[in-house]
Amino acid sequence: MRATAPTSEPPPARTRTVLGLEPRFVAIGVAGGILSGLLGVGGGIVMVPLLVIWAAYAQRDAHATSLGAIIPISCASVITYGAAGEVHAGPALALAAGSIAGARIGAGALSRIEERPLKIVFGLFLAAVAVLMLVRG
Amino acid sequence: MTGIAFVAALVAFGVVTGAASGLLGVGGGTLMVPFLTLAAGMSQHSAEATSLLVVLPTAIVGSLVLRRRGVGDLGLALRFGALGAVGGILGALLALALPGHVLRIVFACFLLLVSVRLVRDSLVLR
Repeated sequence: MRATAPTSEPPPARTRTVLGLEPRFVAIGVAGGILSGLLGVGGGIVMVPLLVIWAAYAQRDAHATSLGAIIPISCASVITYGAAGEVHAGPALALAAGSIAGARIGAGALSRIEERPLKIVFGLFLAAVAVLMLVRG
Repeated sequence: MTGIAFVAALVAFGVVTGAASGLLGVGGGTLMVPFLTLAAGMSQHSAEATSLLVVLPTAIVGSLVLRRRGVGDLGLALRFGALGAVGGILGALLALALPGHVLRIVFACFLLLVSVRLVRDSLVLR
């Protein structure tokens, strides 16, 4: 739900936009994509911190935006990888059956969770990913 | 592992990664790829390709749930992701030309700093 702008606010300054996105979001989107492609990590790990720290997004909105952004990103990657024919369809089907059910649980939890525990959970998740990256080099 | 036990383990692991994905707004590949290489014995390439195929429906279902609950703006997120996809191709090309090892260490340090900041922020909150 988008809040309506208060009437006292001055009209927004006209800035150049790409796909209706302000320059800062364009930069975060492209930078997030470059970093994830470069490092072989998912876009979300890069985008959520950038949205929170650079775009001053609320934690919950950053996670929701990141999850939506993963749709076109993974589409592009599936097309690229699909051509290589490396997908194991059986395991993918079993994992997807579970993860679709899990996604409903997780997204439901995201819509209810408070800002503070969300920051802590995501912070610990990032720390774990960082350690994993350092260990595997 | 026998066939049925293996499938059950995959489904159970799917539930865990799906829940993490929906809650944290990540794809889940970070959890799935190590699992598929270590537990399912896939090559790194197969594990990444297979995990991507799981990430897509997971992100769609999670996003639809969030949209129904009025969290975030899916239209904006999709446009945002389209830019990210372009960036991803550039990044993948760049990865072939740059020493990935060093980059990963630098990025891991960045993630550690972010996690410290998030936990610190959450302690200041209220």
